Amino acid sequence: MKTWRRAGAVVVLAAMLAMTGCGRDDGAGEEASAPVAEGKATGDITVWAMGTEGEKLSVLADDFMRENPDAKVTVTPVPWDGAHDKLATAIAGKQTPDVSLIGTTWMGEFAKTGGLDPTPADLIKKEDFFEGAWNTTVVDGTSYGVPWYVETRLFYVNSAVAARAGITAPPKTWEEFKSAIVALKTKGGAKWGVNLLPPGSAIGSWQSIMPFVWSNGGDVATGGGFTLDSPQAVEAYAFYKSFFDEGLAPKDLAQATLEPAFLKGEIGAFPSGPWHIGVLKEQGGADKFQLWQMPGRQSATSFVGGGDLAVFKDAKNRDGAWKFVAYLSRPDVQTKWYQTISDLPAVKKGWDDPALSGDPLLSAFGKQLEDAKSPPAIPTWEQIAAAIDGEVEKMTKAGAKPEDAAKAMQQRATSIGTGA
Amino acid sequence: MTTPATKARPPVAKPPGSPGGPARRPVRRRRDRVATVVLHVLLVAGLLAMVGPFLWMLLSSFKSEAEIRLVPATWWPEQFTLANYRELFGRLDFPTYFFNSALVATLVTLGNLVFCSAVGYALTKLRFPGRRALFGLVLGSVMVPSMVTFVPLFVLIANLGLTNTYAALVLPFLAGALGAFLMRQFMFSIPDELVESARVDGASELRIFVRIVLPLCRPALAALGILTFLAHWNSFIWPLVVATTEDKYTLPVALALYSVGQNQIKFGLLLAGSVVVVLPVVIVFIVLQRHFVRGIATTGLK
Amino acid sequence: MTAVAPGARTRRGRSGPRLRRAAVGWGFALPFTALFVVFLAGPVLASLLMSFTDLRSADVRNPFAVNIVGLRNYVRLFEDELFVKAAVNTAIFVLLGVPLTMVAGLAAALGLNSGLTRLRTVFRVGYYLPVVTSIVAVAVVWRFLLQPDSGLVESLLRLVGLDGPNWLGRSDLALPSLIVMAAWRNLGYQMVIFLAGLQAIPQHLYEAARLDGASGWQQFRYVTLPSLRPTLLFVGVIATIGYLQFFEEPLVMTRGGPLNSTLSVSYHIYNQFGFGNYGYASAMSYLLFVAIVLLSILWFRLLRSSEEVSR
Repeated sequence: MKTWRRAGAVVVLAAMLAMTGCGRDDGAGEEASAPVAEGKATGDITVWAMGTEGEKLSVLADDFMRENPDAKVTVTPVPWDGAHDKLATAIAGKQTPDVSLIGTTWMGEFAKTGGLDPTPADLIKKEDFFEGAWNTTVVDGTSYGVPWYVETRLFYVNSAVAARAGITAPPKTWEEFKSAIVALKTKGGAKWGVNLLPPGSAIGSWQSIMPFVWSNGGDVATGGGFTLDSPQAVEAYAFYKSFFDEGLAPKDLAQATLEPAFLKGEIGAFPSGPWHIGVLKEQGGADKFQLWQMPGRQSATSFVGGGDLAVFKDAKNRDGAWKFVAYLSRPDVQTKWYQTISDLPAVKKGWDDPALSGDPLLSAFGKQLEDAKSPPAIPTWEQIAAAIDGEVEKMTKAGAKPEDAAKAMQQRATSIGTGA
Repeated sequence: MTTPATKARPPVAKPPGSPGGPARRPVRRRRDRVATVVLHVLLVAGLLAMVGPFLWMLLSSFKSEAEIRLVPATWWPEQFTLANYRELFGRLDFPTYFFNSALVATLVTLGNLVFCSAVGYALTKLRFPGRRALFGLVLGSVMVPSMVTFVPLFVLIANLGLTNTYAALVLPFLAGALGAFLMRQFMFSIPDELVESARVDGASELRIFVRIVLPLCRPALAALGILTFLAHWNSFIWPLVVATTEDKYTLPVALALYSVGQNQIKFGLLLAGSVVVVLPVVIVFIVLQRHFVRGIATTGLK
Repeated sequence: MTAVAPGARTRRGRSGPRLRRAAVGWGFALPFTALFVVFLAGPVLASLLMSFTDLRSADVRNPFAVNIVGLRNYVRLFEDELFVKAAVNTAIFVLLGVPLTMVAGLAAALGLNSGLTRLRTVFRVGYYLPVVTSIVAVAVVWRFLLQPDSGLVESLLRLVGLDGPNWLGRSDLALPSLIVMAAWRNLGYQMVIFLAGLQAIPQHLYEAARLDGASGWQQFRYVTLPSLRPTLLFVGVIATIGYLQFFEEPLVMTRGGPLNSTLSVSYHIYNQFGFGNYGYASAMSYLLFVAIVLLSILWFRLLRSSEEVSR
């Protein structure tokens, strides 16, 4: 009975407050982190993790509990599909777990709710992580989490096609890259030299165009605002678009056709993350491909994504939660995690193990991680990404000019704002 | 006639193009026969178009991941494999999720059958102040896009302290506006005279409702049951959001756990999971659709 | 919504005291109304208020520390190029999809109600299967079927010497493809309701019609259709609501593309909620709500007489 009345009170209160209006306080800025108590972790620690990570995390949790006998870690796996909504509502209803895996591009949004706890500097050392990955946790100058695993994008190239095209070494520059792609098509016999857009829709195409912008010295935003229409960016868009104009890249590849077409040699190359090693192996292409680093100009920068771990303000066991996070960031645990589900370590030392450094395919990803960037961690990022996707689609499919696309991206991003 | 027999009779008359009508002339009979053949051809063609994709899903759930992704797509599995099902049942705590889904869908369905038919009765056969307003409220809320109330509803549930309970999965949906609207529309076709004469005989409203009106509503209740069960058996995002531990997940949530990854989808698991999820709904449909038989609503009324 | 024909009209002045009638009426309506008010009215009110603020997902822990923006969210809608595009797409979807699905659903129900003597259950289950199959699986299957170079639809077309286009990749064909797919998928849902509705038609009407020498078509036109009006009204309203909230098909098939040609209002709302623009998304939802109400009033006007006729 009491709870019912409370609910009624909440609604009435909401109505009254909304009527009078309170207005926002603009108190954003750096937030200090509180230290974490010394000693072993104790008490219940609840953790959410998505997909395979959620399914297998209990393996590491068991190890952790052996080291900290007074702590009890409960892992709830959450499907990726719907995970964003689940986190958003949990923060709204103050029903969060202690720790959760959070997609790198969601950090800005969730940190801005004030629902995430700043990373305790006494426990976690920034220098241990890849810089690009660490930056995904930094919002308004404060870090709100820890990179757990990373992925970056390389070009997967069909070896047979490359051999026919007479390519012996991966291209280093944009010019070499372009002529290599042309060769994959003309000499290598591929129908398409490269596939750049995600199959099935243009959603997520920002991940394949931004590396070119970054490599050309451009960026999504600098301190002063968005720079999506900078000369460097426009030049990168034009380079990207040229693959479509010259018939080197398909405009509308249907869903799920990429891998079979690639293995048959119909598509010469495509950019993707480390998970494609497994996908191609599953389809009988284990030894049919090679990996190319991003071609360079000012730099040779790729995209870095993955997952971060964050502790919530509403956590019931904050100290225990951070200790668990710190444990997951230990180099030996990171290596074990790779051996468990093939997630690449976000901690640099985690790569020292021969399982990773001795594998030519993986070490290619490791090398690229040294030069990889993420989009700015701002709460409006997903919306800006969608705007970029839309303009990339207009440019590649409907022939919009790079200058116009740049102008439209910049204008849409500016009107969306940074959510500050 | 106030207590109509509720046993169904086989349909006597048949709408257009049906066979075996009381044909009086041979011409008419031949025309009927042609119509019957045409109808059957159409129905079978329709059936193929409707079942085709399902069949592909069923067959492909026995293929390997690579074979599913084969281009061009194939119908018959080259190599039958139970790997997808084995993986699904091996990784999933199946009984728990099945129980949760069944419990939630059944409770919500029963609730809707009871509450919606009661309110439908009130809206059609009873006269009381506020009736029009009530119907306006029902109709209006059918029309509110459910997405918009999602976050407030969750905050409400959280403040009631109901997160991670079966109550949170069931309570908000026990009284669906859609069901109330459906029952109201059906009860219009139940003649008022039937209710009237029962009242004259001194029957209480509850008795009239339970003994006379509900039996006549069998087809409508079956339809409501089928549709409600389906909607809640398949519901995904709400159970995902209110359940904070695995043991309260429903089947669709658990299936999504393994088939949809951060960067890729496992088609084999997805298809096998979909087959498993569909079966109970099909059974419910088969059981309930038998009630699509002509009631006695109208015999004896002229 | 003015068409609430009180069933009590015929027995005016007969019933007991007002108070008793009210008690009985509300007695039947109360369990429903109570649940309904708690779990729907509150959230609806809250979301309506939300639409007059600039609430974003970043504010959810302090929902009252937001600015009241009055009608600005609503005004902004009409300057939103994507919203206008989505509104046009949605209108096309409703105008084509609703009649297509209703005709197909009714035809299926009529055929399966009495045209068959054997295997009736098999047929009914078959026609219902697309409804029960999860949308994600349906999407996977359809995408495979519609694949431009190798899909099964393509190979069927090739059998008759035709060359199928890239159905989902072309901005002029994607929306029609999704309309057909939605009709295919929702037909079974409507069939269930029509099947139930057909059972309520009095037999003697058909008997009388046949005695008058009415043909099959005439029986359908003058007996089935008029008697089915309350059902038609329900199906029409529900189909309109469903198609105005058209969302799942583009989400899983095209993600609104290519070039936003399949972006619907609901999908746009879904995106805005996903982006965390709760205030703006709520405003959009209530504009959609107004459209639904207006179209439903149209249905009630169109089929109003029905309720008097059928009683």
